[in-house]
Amino acid sequence: MRVRLDNIHKSFGHVQVVKGLDLEVEDGEFLVLLGASGSGKTTALRMIAGLESVTSGRVLIGERDVTNVLPKYRDIAMVFQSYALYPHMTVFANIAYPLMVRKTPKAEIAAAVQEVARQVQLDTLLDRFPKQLSGGQRQRVALARAMIRRPAAFLMDEPLSNLDAKLRGYMRAELKHMQHELGITTIYVTHDQIEAMTLAHRVALLEKGVLQQLDTPANIYNRPANLFVAGFIGSPPMNFIEGTLKDGLFTAPDSHFGTGTRATRTAAVAGMRPEDCRVTEPQDGKLTGTVYATELMGDHTLVTCRVGTATVTVKADKAFKRQDNEAIGVDFAEASVHLFDKASGERIA
Amino acid sequence: MSASPEARTLMQRLFEPQTLESMAPVPRFFTYGALLVWTLVVVFPLYWVLVTSLKVEVQVDSGPFYLPFIDFTPTLEAWDFMLLQNNTLGPYLNSALVSLVSTLLALLIGAAAAYALVRIQFQVKLAAVLTFILLVVGVIVAVAALDVPWAIAVAVAAALFVLALSTVVRRFRAAVGNNDIEFWMISNRIMPPIVAVLPIYVMFQHLKLLDTQVALIATYTGVNLPIVVWLTRDFFAGIPRDLEESAEIDGASKLRVFFTIALPLVRSGLAATFMLVLILTWNEFLLALFLTNANAQTMPVLVAAQNTTRGPQWWYMSVLIVIMIAPVIVIAGFLQKHIARGLLAGAVKG
Ligand SMILES: Nc1ncnc2c1ncn2[C@@H]1O[C@H](COP(=O)(O)OP(=O)(O)OP(=O)(O)O)[C@@H](O)[C@H]1O
Ligand SMILES: [Mg+2]
Repeated sequence: MRVRLDNIHKSFGHVQVVKGLDLEVEDGEFLVLLGASGSGKTTALRMIAGLESVTSGRVLIGERDVTNVLPKYRDIAMVFQSYALYPHMTVFANIAYPLMVRKTPKAEIAAAVQEVARQVQLDTLLDRFPKQLSGGQRQRVALARAMIRRPAAFLMDEPLSNLDAKLRGYMRAELKHMQHELGITTIYVTHDQIEAMTLAHRVALLEKGVLQQLDTPANIYNRPANLFVAGFIGSPPMNFIEGTLKDGLFTAPDSHFGTGTRATRTAAVAGMRPEDCRVTEPQDGKLTGTVYATELMGDHTLVTCRVGTATVTVKADKAFKRQDNEAIGVDFAEASVHLFDKASGERIA
Repeated sequence: MSASPEARTLMQRLFEPQTLESMAPVPRFFTYGALLVWTLVVVFPLYWVLVTSLKVEVQVDSGPFYLPFIDFTPTLEAWDFMLLQNNTLGPYLNSALVSLVSTLLALLIGAAAAYALVRIQFQVKLAAVLTFILLVVGVIVAVAALDVPWAIAVAVAAALFVLALSTVVRRFRAAVGNNDIEFWMISNRIMPPIVAVLPIYVMFQHLKLLDTQVALIATYTGVNLPIVVWLTRDFFAGIPRDLEESAEIDGASKLRVFFTIALPLVRSGLAATFMLVLILTWNEFLLALFLTNANAQTMPVLVAAQNTTRGPQWWYMSVLIVIMIAPVIVIAGFLQKHIARGLLAGAVKG
């Protein structure tokens, strides 16, 4: 079902944690709430779940205004960051709990538990207690408990953050597949941009309780709406150079280049992604500088250059070899330059 | 201290022993010695009571005799008299009924109160509390001194209270928070019980409940509530909030969360609290002495009654004490495995 947040504000005492959040999640959509630690993601999710009251604004699930509705009447399922498994119950009882409280007939519960347990490969572990499970198994129990009914929406708060890298990658694919199969609206909180990019239909990027951009992963990456988004998404992050923009010509202290626009600003920031840049001979590049550090990453080399006072990182070939402090040029296509207004941080064109 | 036993230095073995066996011989000797002495200190009185219950008056008076069959000829005379001729069963059943029921009630009410104090932030207006107290005093005065029928007095007071809540009380800011409520509860135990005995006596006299089990159960439940709240609140505070929130989202009501999540998770703590409160009520003497007579008499009073005009009847007392101790030991043994820890392990990621 659709989930809508309508101008949500949340304060704890005098601290504003969420400031005017508007969000519309389509039926069956996988929306990822992405943001740095403390940006208010969990708080936003808890308000959707009804675990936290909203200071002002409305929460709608489907067509229903649930702003003042208790969690148990919101028909949602949530996977907590801590998994929140009931330690005194077996895996079976944990998964069955949502159906038990709804007084579903015993036989139906047993069948349903078997069914989801098979889906998440827990069918042999149903008699165990949570403390007898590995982290990945616990995570799957939490998932199974959420999946046992067909809720209006799934809410997940960093469900993969405590798994090791390999298991995380595997569970990510599983999660995506399962969400697609079930077709249930999912709101997923993470601070991991890889998770956001791979899982989401759309990403909502939050910073200090303010929504920065809400768009598909591709658009967030290719057309970041402001300086914050541009700097947050991408690893290594985008290179920024400050300068002035006159009729599309960008001028920095030691360089100038065209940007494929006609815009004019007295203070602007040009951004280039490391993979859009190439290293060249000093005289061939749009920027010139010196090699500051080189790091071989396996399939490529990260070259960090000093350009004036700025630092520019270039993703170069793995065969790249240069001495530190050697002069170097950096080149890129005009069309790949992202331009931002320095004062407001907003994207130009 | 992950080093293997052989690799442990003497200092480690002296001061960081993991088991008695891994200690150096000399401290081990002293440790066992000290434990033995303490065991004797604990066990000897029990042994003495048991032995005394097998004696008759002469053997006590001309004693001390320590070993049955060697020192003296044991007899079951005291047992025979106490169990078959004297009315011991009545007080015994009274004790059992009163302590079990009042302990369970105190545990249920106290645990619920502790849970509420941990999970709900109260902001009770101080003015409301004061108004309430004033009205209670008013009702008592009206009923006792002015002969107003109590139903009318209570109804008027309730109406006044509601009126005050919606008018005067709103103007005052000062509020009572959870800490204040907790402190108030504990403070009820600071006062020695003897202070409250007379008012309680008069109250039950008016209610015509003197010398009934109901009076004892009500009194013990009230007296033990603060202890239960105080002990269990920390257990509840230790439950990760996530568990309860998850249950709420899964569709459980607050009451259901309390009974299916919170209570089972603190059951080891509840078992310990149950034991403590049970022993307190089982052994309670002062209130029982005042509130009971023949009908609702409990064991401690019966034990004390063996101190007759002919002097203390030690052999009879010993019989009573033995049968008083026995069930407590059985229950303690029963609950021991429930008092094990580590129940919360595995609740969260690990
Ligand atoms: N109950 C609370 N009382 C006061 N402040 C709170 C409370 N809960 C959260 N905050 C504050 O609100 C801000 C946002 O918290 P929130 O948990 O939503 O962050 P988050 O984006 O989920 O971060 P993380 O990635 O670290 O989980 C933080 O600054 C936090 O200190
Ligand atoms: Mg969080």
